Amino acid sequence: MISPTPLIGVSIPMLKIKELINHVAKTCLNILITGETGVGKEVVAHSLYAESDRSENNFVKINCAALPETLLESELYGYEKGAFTGAHKKRYGKFLTADKGVLFLDEIGDMPLALQSKMLHVLQSGEFSPLGSDQDFKTDVWIIAATNQCLEKNIKNKTFREDLFYRLNIIKIDIPPLRKRPEDIPALVEYYFKKYLSKYPQTQAQRPDSQTMARLCSYHWPGNVRQLQNCIKKQMVLNSWDKIFEELPDNASPSETSSSEDLFQAQLAGSAMHSPAFPFDNEPGNQRMRIISEFIDLSTSSEKLFEDISLKKIKKLASDKVEKEVITFVLEKVGWNRSKAAKILKVSYKTLLYKMSEFNVNPPIS
Amino acid sequence: MANPARLLIVDDNEDILSTFYEFFNSFGYEVKTAVDGFAALKILRDKPNYFLCLITDLVMPNITGVGLISIVKNEFPDIKTIAMTGYGDHPGALASEARADIVIFKPVDLFKIERKVAELIGRTED
Ligand SMILES: Nc1ncnc2c1ncn2[C@@H]1O[C@H](COP(=O)(O)OP(=O)(O)OP(=O)(O)O)[C@@H](O)[C@H]1O
Ligand SMILES: [Mg+2]
Repeated sequence: MISPTPLIGVSIPMLKIKELINHVAKTCLNILITGETGVGKEVVAHSLYAESDRSENNFVKINCAALPETLLESELYGYEKGAFTGAHKKRYGKFLTADKGVLFLDEIGDMPLALQSKMLHVLQSGEFSPLGSDQDFKTDVWIIAATNQCLEKNIKNKTFREDLFYRLNIIKIDIPPLRKRPEDIPALVEYYFKKYLSKYPQTQAQRPDSQTMARLCSYHWPGNVRQLQNCIKKQMVLNSWDKIFEELPDNASPSETSSSEDLFQAQLAGSAMHSPAFPFDNEPGNQRMRIISEFIDLSTSSEKLFEDISLKKIKKLASDKVEKEVITFVLEKVGWNRSKAAKILKVSYKTLLYKMSEFNVNPPIS
Repeated sequence: MANPARLLIVDDNEDILSTFYEFFNSFGYEVKTAVDGFAALKILRDKPNYFLCLITDLVMPNITGVGLISIVKNEFPDIKTIAMTGYGDHPGALASEARADIVIFKPVDLFKIERKVAELIGRTED
């Protein structure tokens, strides 16, 4: 078996998912994993299995979208010799191979309705029988299902059974798309770059510089981690980030792409990895970053940065800054007549003098 | 009081949560709240043998009420469990299957729930 991929991620949602995995992996309760294509649903399923008490037994995957109905059914439950034309010998189903292990029902949203009914029955009764057999087998499998479809919508369309949905959805792990958590990108790039370096030892490929990393972090990644991973693999051969960007489909409308807040998070993650700050001034909608950077040193590590950020402190810094400008503005208007200025500003004369000295506001030397 | 009546109330609707909190508080219960099953599970594992009763919504993100009740019945069998649901029959049926002590449908009558809680945990009024 290929060695399992670790679940890479430093974003808040990914940290929360890791924590959730850690808390539920030993419960064996049915789990539904949702998220767009390529977000890592299978990686999460594997992590659950690896942290469970079932990791000594099998992890059996079945893709409910890839097989026609009859084949899917016989794959799941197995069959007796002669159960149908072509059943020359007995075959075990995935429910049996997954016994005491995990049965990963991938693309569950594509399971045909008839098989959904049968699945529901098996999950309710804990028993199944292979096709052409009258023997019932007890099942002891841990069901983890995944889909990139919105099952709630499928229920409305009557293409998914509501009762099966509730039975699978005892625990739900929803993985956000990569564009919503760009702060995971530097870590993923590093992981896959290292991985492919050992696969392509001859490569001259360069890691992304800070500007390229900023571009990677602001791209919308419709194919999520899988697409990012493919880009890094390409880089091993092409060694040209420009070419790689050329080949990427265009970014979607701005509302679809990461918000400046996401980019802020990305910068935090990036700076935590000691890569230089990204050129945020070139990005649209980064006024927020510029404003924040007036009061906080964004180039420190994220840990130090979070220590530095205090709303009280920033409020003071920001209001001082604005007060200083307003006081200077009014004083200039009234020819530096301080009692007039105090009246206009609606503060006492003493307060104005105090603020002028605190903010170091001085009349121009004439 | 020797044994304060400690409740954990779980709902992803903050309004319901605060209503329950106020209500049970005024009846002299010691109430803790959680906004989803995962938050509740962390509280429970942090303080095993602390709560006498769990009142939980069923349809919630991450760990649903059904999941939470199953875990509680396995790991903390002494804790009484009350499930509340407003989403048709399926979640309620699953909660019963998970051995919830009581399943009730929303909207709920707070006074009625209080009486059931008192009964479940053997609390006598004073
Ligand atoms: N957090 C992650 N850390 C490391 N690798 C990841 C992560 N997420 C995804 N990947 C990698 O991205 C690729 C796609 O992941 P995976 O197959 O789990 O996605 P999926 O959600 O199941 O997608 P699909 O809906 O298309 O089946 C895999 O090669 C996987 O190893
Ligand atoms: Mg997959």
